[in-house]
Amino acid sequence: MGRSLATRWEQPAVFALAAAVFAAVALLPMLSLGGELLRGDALSHAARALSAPRTWKLFAASLGFAGAVTAIALVIGVPLGFVLGRSDLPGRRLALWLHAFPVFLPPFLLALGWFHLLGRGGLLGSEVTARALFSPAGAVLILALGLTPIVTALVAIALQAVDPSLEEAALLAGGPWRTATRILVPLVRPAVALGALVVFALAFSEMGVPSFLRVGLYPGMVFSRLGGVDYAPGEAFALALPLFGVALLLLAFERAAAGRRSFAVLGARSREVPALRLGRWRVAATLLAWSGAVIPLAPLAALALRATRGGGFSRIGPSLGSSVGNSLTASISAAGAVLILAIVIGHAAARGRRPALALDALAVLAFLTPATVLGVGLIATWNRPATQAIYGSGAIVAVAFAARYGAIGVRAAAVSFAQGSVHLEEAAAVCGAGFVRRLARILVPMHARGLAAAFLLALVFCLRDLETAVLLYPAGEEPLTVRIFTFEANGSEAVVAALSCVQVAVTAAALLAGSVLLFRRRS
Amino acid sequence: MSFRAPIAVLLAGLAFAGCRKPGREVVVYLSIDQPFTEPILREYEQRSGVKVRAVFDTEETKSTGVLNRIVAEAGSPQADLFWSGDPVRPSVLVKKGLVLPYASPSAADVPAEYRAADGSWSGGAARARLLLVNTKRVRQDQLPRSVRDLADPRWKGQTAIANPLYGTTTMHVAALAEAWGDDGLKRFLTQLKSNGVRIASSNGEVKRLVASGEVAFGLADTDDAAEASKEGAPVLAVYPDQGGMGTLVMPTAVVLVKGPHPEEAKKLADYLLSVPAEERLVELASHMPLRPEVKAPPGVRRAGEFTVMKVDYGKVADAMQRLQPWLREWAGL
Repeated sequence: MGRSLATRWEQPAVFALAAAVFAAVALLPMLSLGGELLRGDALSHAARALSAPRTWKLFAASLGFAGAVTAIALVIGVPLGFVLGRSDLPGRRLALWLHAFPVFLPPFLLALGWFHLLGRGGLLGSEVTARALFSPAGAVLILALGLTPIVTALVAIALQAVDPSLEEAALLAGGPWRTATRILVPLVRPAVALGALVVFALAFSEMGVPSFLRVGLYPGMVFSRLGGVDYAPGEAFALALPLFGVALLLLAFERAAAGRRSFAVLGARSREVPALRLGRWRVAATLLAWSGAVIPLAPLAALALRATRGGGFSRIGPSLGSSVGNSLTASISAAGAVLILAIVIGHAAARGRRPALALDALAVLAFLTPATVLGVGLIATWNRPATQAIYGSGAIVAVAFAARYGAIGVRAAAVSFAQGSVHLEEAAAVCGAGFVRRLARILVPMHARGLAAAFLLALVFCLRDLETAVLLYPAGEEPLTVRIFTFEANGSEAVVAALSCVQVAVTAAALLAGSVLLFRRRS
Repeated sequence: MSFRAPIAVLLAGLAFAGCRKPGREVVVYLSIDQPFTEPILREYEQRSGVKVRAVFDTEETKSTGVLNRIVAEAGSPQADLFWSGDPVRPSVLVKKGLVLPYASPSAADVPAEYRAADGSWSGGAARARLLLVNTKRVRQDQLPRSVRDLADPRWKGQTAIANPLYGTTTMHVAALAEAWGDDGLKRFLTQLKSNGVRIASSNGEVKRLVASGEVAFGLADTDDAAEASKEGAPVLAVYPDQGGMGTLVMPTAVVLVKGPHPEEAKKLADYLLSVPAEERLVELASHMPLRPEVKAPPGVRRAGEFTVMKVDYGKVADAMQRLQPWLREWAGL
């Protein structure tokens, strides 16, 4: 009796523990900041800021900006996802990898690369290109090129998951074009919706690229209440409230678009699916695919060239310090913590449990909150005498990463669990296996590949982070992205470009190592 | 597939993230550029055997990011010393009661106008605010001579300044408000806007815009000019308003904050305010020396060699805070 009672309570207890940890990491900072609103006359200042017309003008501009970025990402990403995901294009896997790579790099680094390419003194620069670059349209295009791979990859993966028998049946009655438009497009709609959500969210909260290209947007306004001399965290939190509203609307949109398949749209199937024949579209598709693969890499080439020409690599040693180690330590720790939380929360979300869906919403909210706002909340939460072991060490960066990128791990783990059958779990439960045992013996081994992918995704997002870490990294332990950003102030351009190349190399190495692990054959 | 190895790495990472070797240390937050100050801190480490842990400001949040971090961390202070790029921002910390006054013996021979009488800050090698001009875009006979030239319609759409909400530009506009009155400054900034001045994210970006010829000239600091020259950019530094109110000079400032290592902080302050440290900052960052025995690097003038704008740093600090709401509106934020 005692054993069955323990078994019955095991799952809720483990879930409650994971939920409490995630709430401490992601929810407490926001509550702390909310508390700042009650200090002094912060509330009246916040009300004044929220009622100012320019607040809503910038808000509308940001909505337009994110909308434009998303539209471009969809227009390019959906067809590219079809071509790179399922066609018989030669070298499509390589093209997909090349196309997807820039999404794992800090967007400001891409903007810096485009500046070296198209700025007035750039490799291909002229007055016209410089003017186009430093404009709202330039910022939209640069960010869209950086984020399009999210749509492409989600569509490509979703296409892999489509049951080939549906396609075979359709091909009997109609040609490839009708099969693609009538069968495959509706089937990948949830993936497109998820892609649109992620791109819109990232574009809406992005501050680095617009501020580098001098385009005034809403996140810049929120930041001005934290970065200026009259520091007002309560007011910044109030200004972030409309962003939370957008986040909740996006979530509602995504759940409505994906319906009950919210987490079940992206799982890779074990068997090979036949390629769609391009036929007479082959030349156009090849051009599209390889343009999509090569153009986003152009700013990286510009950075490498700038570093080489200026002797940046030979002078990089003192500038690099221990930043690569700091980046890897914090990112691996955070991705590990995210993975552990994601296994528990993602599993419950995949099974449609309401508390897990609420935690998923919290994770998405933390992901979309301007990093600076989240960062100040994290300082208020963790900088206490009792928690100095965390705040005074590299662990605070890992905590911050876990708060910000928890959503990525939870979503990726949920997707993996949603692909599996619940019958195995039920059978094990009937035989008396508790939740922890089912996790350890069945769920984790069965979904090892999907969970490893969740770890890898969380890892590369932590590696690319700048805006969360910059606010709270412990003295002397800055990650590489922060070092690049601090060296940008009067560091040699060639050295900054060389440091950027190291960031690219570290990310590529992490992805490569992860891919080898993920895609190697079972022994 | 076996995941034992990655899990071992993961656990090692988790354990490592929370560990630090015990020993003597001091924590310094800086708003002076990292490429220039990090070597000086490393040299101090070697001399003293004390570990110096530093937090540097970024390009975007120049001068204000670490300041606000000190404010945000006030409940459980982490920093022992703030090495500021100007003497004005520390006044924010003084007003919040976060500063530990310390009259360092090393600063006794620093001219009195470059240190606070109450020991709240002590000055070191300085920067001047100047007009950085692209010589390929501006002929010698057309050189700008005053900050007011930024509003001259002749240069419409061809000039740049850094966002006055952040960095040394904040102090500069506050100093101009002290010189011209708030209304005079607001008129000037409104003119700048209608003249199409580009608002860059930082002085470093102004330097890039001028060096690449994106704009004809812009407002920057002496170290930005020196860096552009080192990179071989076609630039010329003009010390503005030499026939009028003079050029603004900003000494760096060493400020002790109420952190966990006050004694180590005093020793570090003594070193940073010493003649050898001033020499190093002058050499590395092309700053202007304050003491007569420190040699100025080529191309850098001493404060006595040009007309310096007369400022009361305390009043400038007040103006800086007073102007913030209006400046945010002006910047469209």
